[in-house]
Amino acid sequence: MLEIKNLHVKLEDEDKVILKGLTLTVPKGEVHAIMGPNGSGKSTLAYVLAGRDGYEVTDGDILWNGESIIGMEPDERAAKGVFLAFQYPMEIPGVAGLTFLRTATNAVRKRRDLPELSTPDFLKVVKEKAAKLNIDIQMLKRPVNVGFSGGEKKRSEILQMAMLEPTLCVLDETDSGLDIDALRIVSDGVNALRSPDRAMLVITHYQRLLNHIVPDKVHVLTDGRIQKTGGKELALELEKSGYADYTGKAA
Amino acid sequence: MQLADQVLDKGDRGMTVQMLTTKAEQAILKSFEDNATDLPGGTAVAELRRAAIGAFASKGLPSRRVEEFKYTDLKANVKDVLPLAVGDASGSAGDGALSKHFAALAENAVSFVDGRGVAEKNGNKFLAGLLSSPPTWIMSALADKELAASADLLLNTALFTDGAVIDIAAGAEPTDPIVMVTSTPNNALTALRHVIRVGKGAKVTIVEIEQAPRTAGVRQSSALTQIEVADGAEVAHIKVVEARKGSLHLSHGQVSLGANATYSPFHMTVGDGLVRNSLNVFFNGQNTTFDFAAASIVHGTGHADTTLVIDHTVPHCTSRELFKTVLDGQARAVFQGKVIVRPQAQKSDGKQMAQALMLSPDTEFDSKPELEIYADDVVCGHGSTAAEIDSDLIFYCTSRGIPAPVARAMLIESFIGEAIAKVAHDGLREALTVFARESLTAV
Repeated sequence: MLEIKNLHVKLEDEDKVILKGLTLTVPKGEVHAIMGPNGSGKSTLAYVLAGRDGYEVTDGDILWNGESIIGMEPDERAAKGVFLAFQYPMEIPGVAGLTFLRTATNAVRKRRDLPELSTPDFLKVVKEKAAKLNIDIQMLKRPVNVGFSGGEKKRSEILQMAMLEPTLCVLDETDSGLDIDALRIVSDGVNALRSPDRAMLVITHYQRLLNHIVPDKVHVLTDGRIQKTGGKELALELEKSGYADYTGKAA
Repeated sequence: MQLADQVLDKGDRGMTVQMLTTKAEQAILKSFEDNATDLPGGTAVAELRRAAIGAFASKGLPSRRVEEFKYTDLKANVKDVLPLAVGDASGSAGDGALSKHFAALAENAVSFVDGRGVAEKNGNKFLAGLLSSPPTWIMSALADKELAASADLLLNTALFTDGAVIDIAAGAEPTDPIVMVTSTPNNALTALRHVIRVGKGAKVTIVEIEQAPRTAGVRQSSALTQIEVADGAEVAHIKVVEARKGSLHLSHGQVSLGANATYSPFHMTVGDGLVRNSLNVFFNGQNTTFDFAAASIVHGTGHADTTLVIDHTVPHCTSRELFKTVLDGQARAVFQGKVIVRPQAQKSDGKQMAQALMLSPDTEFDSKPELEIYADDVVCGHGSTAAEIDSDLIFYCTSRGIPAPVARAMLIESFIGEAIAKVAHDGLREALTVFARESLTAV
C-alpha cells in the first residue's frame, strides 16, 4: 500500500513550493488516476516518488508498504518495487537497449534476492514480453530510445516495467504523444500488469487514457493538493467541466 | 653551449639561431653526440641525422609560440631528456597492462626493447639492418622534407635506433593484424622509426602498442611512423599508448594516400603521462577516405594532445574525425584538427567532432578545429562538446534499479565506446573495449 501523508515539496534551488499537503492512499491491487491541470504538481509527485534530485520534502511522508521511502536513492526504491514510467523517456546514446534492460533487471533481481537471469533466459523473457508490446527485438539492439518515435519510447518504458516487475507503478502522462493504436497497445501492456499485488498510479491530463486503463479511483490534483476523490465517473465529469471548479479559474 | 654551437656550425648555417637554453635540449644534443658513431646507418643516413640535429639545435623544443604546440609546450614541460637506449634488445618486454590485453594478437608481434627490434617476424624487416645502404623507397621516406618542419620529428630523425619496415605487396590481405609492441626501459629514451608501404589493393590492419610497465619509473619515447598507401588499398592503423606519470611519448604519423584508398586510424591514449599524437595526412589520389577515431582516458596530471593535419590536395576525398576523451583529476586533453582544402580539391567532404567528458571540475579540454578552405564546392563541418555526466541520465538509470556507480561507469563506457566502435577488427575492438573498461575503473 502506498500512503502519501501531508506531503510538502519545494524545489531545492528555489523558494517555489509545489506540493502543499498532498494526502493519498493507493491500496495494493488498485489503480488510481491523478488528473490535474498543467502546473498542479503531477510530475513533481511522480519524480518525488521515484527519488529524483532537486526536490526537497519539507513536511509529510511517503510510505510504501509501511516504510518511508523519503531519503532512499532511486535504485533502492526500484529494488523495493517502485517504477516510474517517464513522460519523456531519456535517450542513452551508446548503450544498447538489451544491455540496459539486462543490467537493470539483474540489478533489481539481485537486490530482491532472486537469481540473476542468464543471457539465454533473459533473452527468452525479453522476446516474449517485447512481442506482446509489438516491439521488434532489433529495436532493442539499438541504443536506448535513440531515434525512437514517441510511441516507441512509451512502449519501451512499459517493456522496462514488465521486466522489472515492480509493485508500485507510477505512469506519468504515458498517453502523451501516442496515437490511438499506440495508446491501445500501451494500455493493454499496462492492464496485463494489473494484479492483486500491484498498486498503480496513473497520472494524466485527459480522460481518454482512462477508457483503456479503467481506474478504481480518480483524484483531482490542483495547486499541490488533492481537491476531490471519486470513482471513474469523476474523470468524465472533468472532461466536460474542466478544472475550473477546483482552481477558481478556467484551466 | 659549445656543444650546440659545434652542431649548428655543421647544420643549418643560414637559419636564425636561437640560443639553446633548456636542460632537455642540451641532453638531446649530448645524446646525439655520445651516440653519433654508433647510430645505425651509412653515409647518407649519417648526413641526414647530422642535418636533423643541426636543424633541431636551431629550433629547440617547440614552445607554445609554435601554433601546433600551442597547448603542449614541450620547451616548458619537458624538464630533462633521459639517455638514449641503444641496448642489445636483451631486456624483457615487461608486464604492461597492454601486453595482457593484446596477448592473443601480439603473439606474433614485432617487439622493440631497449630501442632495438627483438626478432623479425612474418617477413617484416627491421630498419637498422637496412640502413647501411637503404633501398630508395626507404631512403626517400627518411629524407621526406615535410618532416624537417617540426623539432619533435627532427629529434626522431637524428636519434632513431631502429624500427619496423613493413612492405605489403599489392593485393596482399594478411589475415592477422601486424602488431608492433614497444617497451621503453626505465629511465631511458627510445626513438623508433617505422616505414610502411602498402601496395595497390592490399588490405591490412597495423597495430602499434606503446606499453608502460606497472613498475615505477619514467620513460620517454619518440615514435615516427611513415605510411604510403597505394591506390585501392585499405589500411586500419591502431595506435595504443599507455603513459604513466612523469613519462613522455611523442608520436607522429606521416601518411600519404593514393586514389580509391581507405585509411582508418584509431588512437587510444591512456594514463597520466604527457602524450602527443600527431598525424599528417595527404590525399594524393581521388575518391579516398580518411576515417579517424580516437579514445583517450586521462587522469591525474596527465596531458594528452592529438593534433591532426589533413590535407585535401585533390578532389572527391572524404575525411572523418571523431575524437572522444574522458578526463579526471587535473587531466588535460588537447584536440587540434586542421583540415586544408586546396583550391583544386573540389567536392571534398570533411567532418570533425571532438567531445570531452569531464569527471572533475579541475580538468581542461582544449579543442581547436581549423578549417582552411580554398575550394568553393565542398562540404566541411566541425563540432565540439565538453560536458559532465548528465545527471538526468543517471537518474533514469538509477530509477531502473541500476546503482549510481554502475550507471556512471555504463555511461562513461558508452561515451568512449562510440569511438572504439569504429574499429572494424572484432578481436581488437573487444580487447580495446576491455582495456578501456579497466582503465576507467582505475580512474
